[in-house]
Amino acid sequence: MIFDAEVFQITLLSLQISALATGLSLLIGLPFGTLLALGKFPGRSFLLSMVNTGMGLPPVVVGLFVAMMLWRSGPLGDLKLIYTPTAIIIAQVVISFPVVTGLTAAALQALDPRLRLQLYGLGASLTQMVWMLWREARLPLLAALMAGFGSVISEVGASMMVGGNIRYQTRVLTTAIVLETGKGHFDIAIALGVLLLAITFLVNWALTWIQQRGARR
Amino acid sequence: MKYARFTFLLVTVFALLLAACAPAAPEPAPAPANPALILATTTSTQDSGLLDVLVPLFEGQTGYVVQTVAVGTGAALKMGEEGNADVLLVHAPAAEKALMEAGFGKDRFLVMHNDFVIVGPASDPAGIKGAGTSVEALQKIADAGANFITRGDDSGTHKMELSLWGKTAADPNGQAWYVDSGQGMGATLTIASEKQGYTLTDRATYLANKENLELEILVEGDAALLNVYHVITVNPDKWPKSNYEGALAFANFVTGAEAQELIGEFGVDQFGQSLFFPDADKTDADLGLE
Amino acid sequence: MSNLIEIRDLLVKRGDHPALEVDHLSIEKGEVLAVVGPNGAGKSTLLLTLARLLRPERGRILFDGQPAARESDTAYRRRIALVMQDPLLFDTSVFENAASGLKFRGVGRDEIARHVPAWLERLGVAHLSKRRAGQLSGGEAQRVSLARALVLEPELLLLDEPFSALDPPTRARLLADLKSLLSETRTTTIFVTHDLAEAGQVAGRMAVIIGNRLRRVGRPGELASASGDRDVAEFLNHYF
Repeated sequence: MIFDAEVFQITLLSLQISALATGLSLLIGLPFGTLLALGKFPGRSFLLSMVNTGMGLPPVVVGLFVAMMLWRSGPLGDLKLIYTPTAIIIAQVVISFPVVTGLTAAALQALDPRLRLQLYGLGASLTQMVWMLWREARLPLLAALMAGFGSVISEVGASMMVGGNIRYQTRVLTTAIVLETGKGHFDIAIALGVLLLAITFLVNWALTWIQQRGARR
Repeated sequence: MKYARFTFLLVTVFALLLAACAPAAPEPAPAPANPALILATTTSTQDSGLLDVLVPLFEGQTGYVVQTVAVGTGAALKMGEEGNADVLLVHAPAAEKALMEAGFGKDRFLVMHNDFVIVGPASDPAGIKGAGTSVEALQKIADAGANFITRGDDSGTHKMELSLWGKTAADPNGQAWYVDSGQGMGATLTIASEKQGYTLTDRATYLANKENLELEILVEGDAALLNVYHVITVNPDKWPKSNYEGALAFANFVTGAEAQELIGEFGVDQFGQSLFFPDADKTDADLGLE
Repeated sequence: MSNLIEIRDLLVKRGDHPALEVDHLSIEKGEVLAVVGPNGAGKSTLLLTLARLLRPERGRILFDGQPAARESDTAYRRRIALVMQDPLLFDTSVFENAASGLKFRGVGRDEIARHVPAWLERLGVAHLSKRRAGQLSGGEAQRVSLARALVLEPELLLLDEPFSALDPPTRARLLADLKSLLSETRTTTIFVTHDLAEAGQVAGRMAVIIGNRLRRVGRPGELASASGDRDVAEFLNHYF
């Protein structure tokens, strides 16, 4: 099955799922990380510790948790999401959202704190101030995005548990590798592994290119 | 010094953890020259818990240390073929024969069997309950277009299922209702339960997971549904590094009287019925294999 | 001449400690007021309070005759401009840096293209327009930072020790340029410094803050003679 239509379908699905999950994580994690970095409110450092712990969540634990939610016996069972790509995306967002949030907070906290005063002192509104800080921290923020993507494209435990590794529906590169290894098709498993690495490399290469283009010339 | 005290504490805690992890010392047995033994077997024997009973007993009696690798039958056979295991406990008679003919296995003994059943939702949308044979049941499922979950992982169970489909007039491949889980029996049963579909399962795994499943046994007792396990020692002529002595010791152990009795009793107290049937005193022909 | 700023009975706290107390201070339109005093005396606190980056504990600040609190923070800040000790330029071109305040105010592209080069020119950094901020020397960066503030044509310019990180020759040139620009534009300016000589060169009047309190306001001559305050006298004696 090397390099045939099915491999293409699996690869495309992996990319779609992980890209969407990373995108959603960014959508939630960027504002949330910014709030944690810049905000002053009770419980802030507690939340920050939670997020930093969450950066190391074992995917298989997330998978178990999300599966328990989505099983027909679970509280969200009526949504009928278990064993769908959506279920994998949910689990992957849970995995990568703390990564994006934590690294966003770290990136913004690394900026000169007086930059905020300077921006306000030039008449920036709150949104303009945040936008400028994101712009200033764009290199570490892109690194946060890469780390978020890396944490989900390579993840197998959650995809297996909530996706079910169902052929043509939820089989992604990592779960296919586990399957082929289980079958004793080590050659195919290795080929898929190389494919996964190549894709991860290409995506990161593209992001790095964007990142370095934004770096000081 | 604060640091020194902290380090001491850390070391102490670590040492305690290590001590807690160490297994309770078994009855000392005369240690064999080469105690490490790799057993490649199918997930079904591992998941059912049978190995947890047999392996410690074997280790205690002989002094071997068994590393059990539970994989699909395909991978288990491959491990034997490539010399990555010393002894195999598998259930795919046709593939096993091919392995023996190619000279990768040295001895092959009949150990036991369990049986397959077809499970599905109580509502039984395809109406397979009471079907005479498993083949007839599968035909009905195909005709009704009801969800059927296949493991699709080249496991013994998967191969059994494919051979049954081969005897029907239906071709399930590519059908929307034919769901390929690509996972082990436990996960596949969970998927079948969630999707309210049918699947072919060994009785042991079904019984072990029954509490969490909304599935019932709908077809059972068909002669075609027997799942026969053989133990195979890896041929040391092909792979000199393999631990043939240990492999043979294990093969003799599982076919011996004590282990055979344990196999027959296993699961009775928990499920009220045997999961495996000892067969060391039978021949392949007795079980309908040629 | 009318007052742009009038402060009465002001108390600002940072944490639990009083950081600045001002009984009364008024600044005329077009005036350049130097705020002097030792490090940590509360000079920057005055600027940050006037930029509404710190909230006073009590007191009244009138801006152009109106209570300053009447406007939103952002609307108020868009009438002023702040230059800090470090240039704090953004990681982009010199032009974009100088245009940033105008962009915050929603000023159109054409107007930006008219004003920004003119101010870069007046501060002698027009030739660096396309250079990235990170490649500038300290003096060049501070000039860009000044252009970024002056292009806004603020009603009030707040300068927080803008030259303290520069070497003496650079500082002297920049100081001279700033002086002529301010007298030309008649921008009301508060210039914080701990250097009395610098203060005397640019400003008409000086406000002396010592020990988190505004002690004296006046022309250099008046301060030196009419000093009934020992701390002020001691501080001034280092220079006169």
